[in-house]
Amino acid sequence: MSFLDRLRGLFGGTAANGGPQMISCDDALKLVHEYLDGELENVSQAEVEAHFDACQRCYPHLRLERSFRQAVRRVASRETAPPELAARLRELIAEVGSEG
Amino acid sequence: MTESPGSQPGFEEEALPHLDAVYRFALRLSSSPDEAEDLVQETFLRAFKSWDQYTRGTKAKSWLFTICRNVYLRRHERTQRHDEIVSETIGQSGPGQNQVNPVWVSVLGVDPESDFFESIVDERIIDAIGDLPEEYRTAVVLSDLEGLPYAEIAELMEVPVGTVKSRLFRGRRQLQKVLYEYAVEMGYIPAGAGTDVSA
Repeated sequence: MSFLDRLRGLFGGTAANGGPQMISCDDALKLVHEYLDGELENVSQAEVEAHFDACQRCYPHLRLERSFRQAVRRVASRETAPPELAARLRELIAEVGSEG
Repeated sequence: MTESPGSQPGFEEEALPHLDAVYRFALRLSSSPDEAEDLVQETFLRAFKSWDQYTRGTKAKSWLFTICRNVYLRRHERTQRHDEIVSETIGQSGPGQNQVNPVWVSVLGVDPESDFFESIVDERIIDAIGDLPEEYRTAVVLSDLEGLPYAEIAELMEVPVGTVKSRLFRGRRQLQKVLYEYAVEMGYIPAGAGTDVSA
C-alpha cells in the first residue's frame, strides 16, 4: 500500500485512481467479524485488509476484536477431556457394541 | 452372536478424536464438570448407536455438537429461561447497527493495544461465557472456540446464517463488555474517561 493510500485511509478516503475502490470506514466496521471469521461474501479479504491496514480510525477496532478472540481461544486450547472420561467412554462403547 | 465395538466401522477414527472439543462444548453448556462428563457420555453413546445415520467423511464434529446440544436442551427444557433472547426482537442492535464498539471507545486512550484481554484469567473468561444466554453462548463457543463456519453453526442451531451472525455480534459485545468491566474492577486498566459501555 502506497503512502498516499495510507494517507487517504487516515481520512476514510478511497484508493488511488485506477485501483479498486476502497471500502468505507462504516463498511469496514460492519465487516470486521466476517473478515476475522473468514466469512466475507461480497468483498474480498484483501479489500477489507487494505482498509484496516491504512485506516488509523478502524485499525484499533480490528485489534480489539483480535485480542478478544485470542483471549477466548486461549481458554479453549487449555481444556481437554479428563483421561478417565475417555477410558470410561471406550468401555461403555465396547459394552454397547457387544450387546449388539 | 456377540459384536465387537468394531461393528460401527469408523467410529473410533472419526468420532472419538473430537472428544476434547465435545467436552469443552459440554462444559460451556452445562453448569458443572460432572454434568459435562455426563453430557459427553450420552452424546457419544447416542452417536455410536446412530452411527449408520452419519455419512462417513462428513462433518463429524458438527454432528456430535448437534447431538450434545440437543441432549442438553432436552434435559433443560423445563428450566430454560424464555426471556434470554428478547434482545433478538425488533429494535435491538445487531450487525449493521452501532458499529463502533463501545468497549473500544472506553479503552481508547487507556489501552490502545487492547492488551487488557490478555490480563484476564481463564476462569473469569469461562464464567463470562457461562453467563451468556444459551443461544449467544452456543454461537460464540462454536465460532470463537471451535472455529466452525457460520453455515455449520446455522445448521446445528437450526436457524438462518443471518441469525448466527446476529447472535455472534451480540454475544461477543456482551462478553467484551463484561470482561472490560472486570478488567477495570481489577485495576488492569483505568476506566475510560466519560464512556459508557452499556450501548
